Amino acid sequence: MTTAHDIFDQVDNSFDRLGLTEIPFTESPTDPHSETLQNVFTGREDKLRQTFNLFKSRERRRILVYGRMGIGKSAFLLQVLSALGHKKKQMLTIYISLPANLDLATTALIALAKAMPDDEWAQRQLYQMGIPTEMILKERSSKAGGNLVFTGELSEKDLPVTKFQYPTVSLETLLEKAQKKYPEGVLIAIDDLDKQDPSTVRKLMHDAQGMLKGRAWFMLTGHPMGMTGDLLTSERGLFDLQLKLEELDQPTTYEMLINYLNSVRINNDITDANDPRSVLPFLPETAKKFCEVSLGKPRLFNRLGISVLSTAADLQTDVITQEILDKGLKAAARSLLLQAALNVQEERVLALLLERGGLSDETILMADLEQLGVRTFGELLIVLEKLEEADLIHQLNQDDTKAFAPIPLPQDQTLLVKNEE
Amino acid sequence: MANKGFGGAKSGSSQSAKQFILKFKKYWEANPDLKKAHQFFSSHLSELNESLLKSLQPIFRDLTKDKISQEQYLIALLFGNFGTSLRRFSLGNHALNLELSITSLQLILKVFTNQFFPEEWANTHNSLATAYINRIRCERADNIELAIEHSELALQIYTHNAFPSQWAMVQGNLGVAYINRIRGERADNIEKGILYYEMSLQVYTYKDFPQDWAITQIKLSHAYCERIRGERANNIEQAINLCNLALQVITREDFPQDWALIQNSLGAAYWERILGDRADNLEKSISAYELALQVQNYNDFPREWAGLQNNVGNVYRERIRGERTDNIEQAIMAFKLALQVDTRDAFPDAWAKLQNNLGLAYKDRIQGDRTHNLEEAIAAFNLASQVRTRESHPEFWATTQHNLAKSFRDRILGDRAENLEQAIQIFNQAAQVFTRDSFPEKWSINQAHLAEALIKRAELTNNCNDLDTAINILKAALELAVVGSPDYIDTQYRLGKALSRRYEHTKNADELEQAMQAYKIALDAINPEHYDRKQIWQALPTTQVILGSKLVSDGEWQEGLQMLLNSLTQLSTGDDPLAHADALYQTGRAYEVMADLDKARLFYRDALRLYDHLNDALGTTQSRAGLGSVLVSQGHLEKGISELAQAREGYLQLQRTEQANETDNIYQAAKRALERQSTEVYA
Repeated sequence: MTTAHDIFDQVDNSFDRLGLTEIPFTESPTDPHSETLQNVFTGREDKLRQTFNLFKSRERRRILVYGRMGIGKSAFLLQVLSALGHKKKQMLTIYISLPANLDLATTALIALAKAMPDDEWAQRQLYQMGIPTEMILKERSSKAGGNLVFTGELSEKDLPVTKFQYPTVSLETLLEKAQKKYPEGVLIAIDDLDKQDPSTVRKLMHDAQGMLKGRAWFMLTGHPMGMTGDLLTSERGLFDLQLKLEELDQPTTYEMLINYLNSVRINNDITDANDPRSVLPFLPETAKKFCEVSLGKPRLFNRLGISVLSTAADLQTDVITQEILDKGLKAAARSLLLQAALNVQEERVLALLLERGGLSDETILMADLEQLGVRTFGELLIVLEKLEEADLIHQLNQDDTKAFAPIPLPQDQTLLVKNEE
Repeated sequence: MANKGFGGAKSGSSQSAKQFILKFKKYWEANPDLKKAHQFFSSHLSELNESLLKSLQPIFRDLTKDKISQEQYLIALLFGNFGTSLRRFSLGNHALNLELSITSLQLILKVFTNQFFPEEWANTHNSLATAYINRIRCERADNIELAIEHSELALQIYTHNAFPSQWAMVQGNLGVAYINRIRGERADNIEKGILYYEMSLQVYTYKDFPQDWAITQIKLSHAYCERIRGERANNIEQAINLCNLALQVITREDFPQDWALIQNSLGAAYWERILGDRADNLEKSISAYELALQVQNYNDFPREWAGLQNNVGNVYRERIRGERTDNIEQAIMAFKLALQVDTRDAFPDAWAKLQNNLGLAYKDRIQGDRTHNLEEAIAAFNLASQVRTRESHPEFWATTQHNLAKSFRDRILGDRAENLEQAIQIFNQAAQVFTRDSFPEKWSINQAHLAEALIKRAELTNNCNDLDTAINILKAALELAVVGSPDYIDTQYRLGKALSRRYEHTKNADELEQAMQAYKIALDAINPEHYDRKQIWQALPTTQVILGSKLVSDGEWQEGLQMLLNSLTQLSTGDDPLAHADALYQTGRAYEVMADLDKARLFYRDALRLYDHLNDALGTTQSRAGLGSVLVSQGHLEKGISELAQAREGYLQLQRTEQANETDNIYQAAKRALERQSTEVYA
């Protein structure tokens, strides 16, 4: 009988055969202080340069990083923070992902307060919001005794959880304190603005103008459809730098693959792209093919990577041949579709897109729209973006039309509903 | 006797009237009971005729001549019982029955004098009062005045101290008379009516006279439904509360008839209710009427049944739930059923009411040919006005005129301008009765519809004066409209429409703002289930599109854009694709002005596709011109030039030279830019 222990060992052996300690790919970059990110982050040199140039200034700046979903905005942000953390010791760098239903000022306040564990006032702010703090806070009320010879009796009771009334003011107060400790300033990076719907983002930005122009440095991320379109027109002056991240080119993607694999490879640490061993267990041709289907999109690259390596391990192979790659990509296509959990309308849109080989606002026909129960391409955009988010389709870099095409994966057609004619 | 009313004498053939009276005498002596008397009348219907009416006086004279007062008293008593029983007998010729009753009662006053038989005298006057209230022949206004006079005479004997319960009864009758009074100020009359009912409740307490107490609550409920003074919504709530109070005493088991009456009143109150969900209220109204119909069925209570059919018809006509088409058919069927009982000859009054209601149903009818339905409606309103005249029923008459005017306003047959003139004239006639002081609410409604006719005339003649008048009328009407009522909503909607029409003339953005506001108020007050008001749902986004694009061009980008995007959300699910296309185009323009060219392009393309699908040449051309100019601005010259060329061609075909020239200017500039580009490449 095979036990769980045996299976664990088998898996271990499978990865040994591939010459890897683990799967290096992840769905999203998580920890700003992790060494892995620094090892695998590839490219974007010019954007990093532009960003760091700004930090030479003494003046506080606001930076917007934008680009399509899965293009690597978070990774870029974390990379910037990591570098600043190492190089500018007197600057406080904070990263936070924007929680749903929260305004920017409160988000920034939470991030800052968490970054100042020694500051009782900051912890009190967190505590009042019901966010666990390391310090135990008690409300102190002194009962003066009748006899002044004795010191006042100190009684303690738990603080009531109250809601913030003036987050912007609290933030300013806390920033003032932080700046005393960090003379090079405070950088607050708020990620995932693009996860909110466009009108929410518009409102958040509108409401946060005062905060953004305040004491701290800010870096924000968003994607073009979500915010920048409207934002750039209305709050153009708000950002000193707007960085648009685009797909990585093929050589950079190839280099990124080398970096990822190298971070977990057992047998060698070759990073020269001309050396075929640098991409092991891939073969140079399958590595190239893998980079092609990844379309220079880091998140897709990671998602596909997980699937391909898992498939290879399952098949107990030691090298990723064309056949193994195909199987891995097919498995990826299947799991992307399952993960996306599409509703009927989304499935119909995807099926139509696959059938047509792509959809664009320029060429779509009224009959197609009617078939999907809408009158405008604009109404399909939300669906198309969800499909893009799920890496089932991608947006083409065409600047005279909004066009979407399938991810060129070998499709498992049985999984999709067909549009009835 | 003047015979101005209806249900007049038909036959002159005489029978032995005296024999008949004596037959009744014998019968009554054996069965001194109202129900038994009715049974007797039912089996002698043919003997209740005009010659009996003519003969009553000579018979009475004959029977009492040279008799001692004790004998005279008995004869008077016989005629009194005959008259009182007949007053409540609903079969046969009701109008004639009432005349027989009145004549009999008047005759006995010769015997029952104030001096010798004060109680009988008072009782007879009270009976006469109730007979006059119900009288069909002669002027209704006169009849009610007579009823009041007789009641007041009765009160000379029936004082509060000496005859408390009779006093309370007469107070109640006076209440009924004032509620129905035609002379004098209607609002005052209703207040007086309520006062009389409340007086009667001093005696008719819950403890001592539970049934009378309950019946008075029903009457009060009816009065509050009719009340003009005070907050209308509160009056109706009061009416509903009073019905529920009455139901504490009047159970279906013990007093089925009165219980049905309460259900009827509840039905009416819920129909008129302003507070609460209108759809719910109408369902409650129908349920109440259906309960009443369980008791008051066709066989046992044909008249009440007919009345309930009329009421049910009215609710179905306005019902919100269910298919509207079916509801209106249901209403028409109910009115026609009621008309089988309430014929013109037998019950001219009820018949006229039914004609009016049938007219309303035809006016709203969805099934069948609309042209024909409107003609049916006009015919029905005219019939109703023949019977319930301005003199006899001024309020009803004015209501029917109002309805008639609306039908002329919407009429399809005949010359449109003439129909509108006719409509305006009839609205003004109705306004002679529905004055601002006497009938504030009806005045408001009538004015609002008059304004609608003026708006239509303005549409026809392109005359801004009519719009000015309409706007003034509507603003004044809104001052007195019941906030939140369907008419209030409609009036706000009309104001919105008139203002946005005037904006087309004046191009004054203030008017558009005001229009928006009016639409918004209308929309906020509306119940989403209120399918009848679909046009208002449509109007708001349409106005938002106009105002939104205006704001954008005036530089208020964010606000304008937000308005456009809001309207798009509503229009994308609506069934007016053209309005949707307009909104898309305007949003495209807004984005273009705001230099968000990617979005502008997206919206222009969507607008273009939809306009093209709808075969709207102007919309297609405008969208192409917009798209072309955006593409050129973005540097996509070839694509832009191709769109601009098509747009220019489109404008020329539409004979819009100015726009064609504007488009050509951009086209030429783009051409030059393209040439420069290619020379740079080859140079």
